[in-house]
Amino acid sequence: MAGVTGGNDFQWCFSQVKGAIDEDVAEADIISTVEFNYSGDLLATGDKGGRVVIFQHEQESKNRPHLRGEYNVYSTFQSHEPEFDYLKSLEIEEKINKIRWLPQQNAAHFLLSTNDKTIKLWKISERDKRAEGYNLKDEDGRLRDPFRITSLRVPVLMPMDLMVEASPRRIFANAHTYHINSISVNSDHETYLSADDLRINLWHLEITDRSFNIVDIKPANMEELTEVITAAECHPHQCNVFVYSSSKGTIRLCDMRAAALCDRHSKFFEEPEDPSSRSFFSEIISSISDVKFSHSGRYMMTRDYLSVKVWDLNMENRPVETYQVHEYLRSKLCSLYENDCIFDKFECCWNGSDSAIMTGSYNNFFRMFDRNTRRDITLEASRESSKPRATLKPRKVSTGGKRKKDEISVDSLDFNKKILHTAWHPKDNVIAVAATNNLYIFQDKIN
Amino acid sequence: MLTASRQPVGSPSHREQTSMQTHCCPTLTGCAFDAQNLISISLRKIQSSRTQRGGIKLHKNLLVTYVLRNARQFYMSKNSLQTQRTPPYEDAAAVHRRQEYIELTGSFTELADDFYCNFTGTESDTWHCGAHQSSAQPSELAHQDASACAMASPSDSELMVSEACWSCTDKSSWELPILNAQANQKTVLDLDTHVVTTVTNGYFHSDCCAQPKQPQAGAQCYTRKRKMDTSYYIVDPEFYLPDFVPCKRMRSEDDDDDNDDDGDDLQSDSGQLDSANISNLISVLGSGGLSEFVSWQQMDLEQIFGTQTICLKHTLLAGSGWTRAIEAF
Repeated sequence: MAGVTGGNDFQWCFSQVKGAIDEDVAEADIISTVEFNYSGDLLATGDKGGRVVIFQHEQESKNRPHLRGEYNVYSTFQSHEPEFDYLKSLEIEEKINKIRWLPQQNAAHFLLSTNDKTIKLWKISERDKRAEGYNLKDEDGRLRDPFRITSLRVPVLMPMDLMVEASPRRIFANAHTYHINSISVNSDHETYLSADDLRINLWHLEITDRSFNIVDIKPANMEELTEVITAAECHPHQCNVFVYSSSKGTIRLCDMRAAALCDRHSKFFEEPEDPSSRSFFSEIISSISDVKFSHSGRYMMTRDYLSVKVWDLNMENRPVETYQVHEYLRSKLCSLYENDCIFDKFECCWNGSDSAIMTGSYNNFFRMFDRNTRRDITLEASRESSKPRATLKPRKVSTGGKRKKDEISVDSLDFNKKILHTAWHPKDNVIAVAATNNLYIFQDKIN
Repeated sequence: MLTASRQPVGSPSHREQTSMQTHCCPTLTGCAFDAQNLISISLRKIQSSRTQRGGIKLHKNLLVTYVLRNARQFYMSKNSLQTQRTPPYEDAAAVHRRQEYIELTGSFTELADDFYCNFTGTESDTWHCGAHQSSAQPSELAHQDASACAMASPSDSELMVSEACWSCTDKSSWELPILNAQANQKTVLDLDTHVVTTVTNGYFHSDCCAQPKQPQAGAQCYTRKRKMDTSYYIVDPEFYLPDFVPCKRMRSEDDDDDNDDDGDDLQSDSGQLDSANISNLISVLGSGGLSEFVSWQQMDLEQIFGTQTICLKHTLLAGSGWTRAIEAF
């Protein structure tokens, strides 16, 4: 796969944008998760209103062979509704925290969606035929008088307008006391894990009334709580291995073969803290917000507030690569703490070949890092540069005193425009970037 | 715009267990001001998290408490540098032991000690909950912190200590005497108006806290048996703060206390303690709500103290009650 940093043979260009253009953004329309399926043909988004929207990739147009096909709405359904826990007097938000696709095994598509407390398995299936010629009922569905049936016929399937149905097949509830932050489908395609602040559970996709608790970091005395689980993921190939990250900036790799309860890790990844950079907010900015295995399974990537780190699973004492996302924010941490931006949980993703990584930032900027060339690029998801096939212009944040032309100063950044969720097509150079309530799709344009 | 201090602050990590180091700040007062601002901001965040949709976010609140701890430790280290005298009732060894213990180990609930807590000026050797209002001498204030809790009336054994705490904090900002003539900044969170105020060189008049009575032996704090709502225990540090108890007890016992202006308010509130506020304080530090603390339902005060004895250090020292309250954890 070609490099991603705008070399002579590679440029990112605008493809599509989904969502309303209104300045007043409804809270429910804010996109909270984005995920491509295994083939990349389907792109699912979840929002704070509990809705899931699935886009499907259309085939390329013969008139424009240089462009890949577009993504159009395939299905929309309400996944979660707001609930109220009367026992605890707590409202349970309907916000979709994560969506994870299951590998496709037949014509239907399956995905897992979760809010803070409940995970649901959805089946998305197509119906483009309907049966006609029933013996016992009319075409409009009314039952026929049996005495008036004088002949017998075989119903036939007639084509109809494509209808995409989404139906909940399983509901996995009442297993998490704390807020679910992660779900991850195992490589065995039979189990998946779900993680909340203090526990990780292992489920079987067919069994909803029980799950196995495999990690429990809740102390006997809650007063001794010092860290929480922030993300968890199954290894892409080894069904017995998973990792989870913590608010202390550590990652633990666990092997389920070692024990039923994986409280004791097999590997412990932590980078020593630099004492010279210590501040009031050291704990906050070191908290890991996302962890992702590479497709190869050899590496994993973690995102904390200011950087992205790539770890080799064979080396625990430090990451092999560290990329600064927005180091210019280090001097602004106090303000970011005041306006709560410091608590934003940015996600990160790999490209299909693991040669590049991407993560979001503020001002609708998102960053890509080429692991081979060590070059990076900052791009912006904005309506202004949303002309069809328009090449994205690299952006730069001015950190020094003198601001060059086309640079933006740190103080001019809009911290309300944040890109927390991004996804990279598993095979092609197509990326989906969620900017508040809009979904931008960019693709490469090979000259 | 406030900026985070880039100078290294003494590491409070319990893993490292290093003593607090005050970094070389070009303007010590400026850094202290930042610390105090951070404390007020953090308190506001914790307060607002109680009404957030979806329940308390455990992760976020944990991080906020870390900031509180860092700011507090920096503030204390600054105070320890500037403090030139020790209270006459304490010897140097006791002060040293107390200061050693005050180094936080990163316990999640330890940080809760500082919720709604005032920080005195540079002269302060101990944390003061602020529950006491006193125009008395500073040394007397230091004495009465913990032992005053023993003044709780036996007839009020059913009353939650934490409720008493809240009866103080529900009111407007409490008062803290200035211990020296130098600039003292106090951070006060008004739970009614949700206004966080930092005041320099001034008194607040507390609406709730009565004139404390004479101190008694500290051990008495722990002998009183009272029913408790276990949910309060887990995270409400003020449960252990004997200072808060007498605020209510003494008012009910002694209506002739000095702040009669506050008496009516307090007494009228005595029957209207907002248990939701108390539980909300708890829920601040633990998502999942009250059901998480079901196991504590049957535990009363003495049992709890019994389990904590291993943590009690120097409880009979003539240190401040606040110190003993911290030690209890």
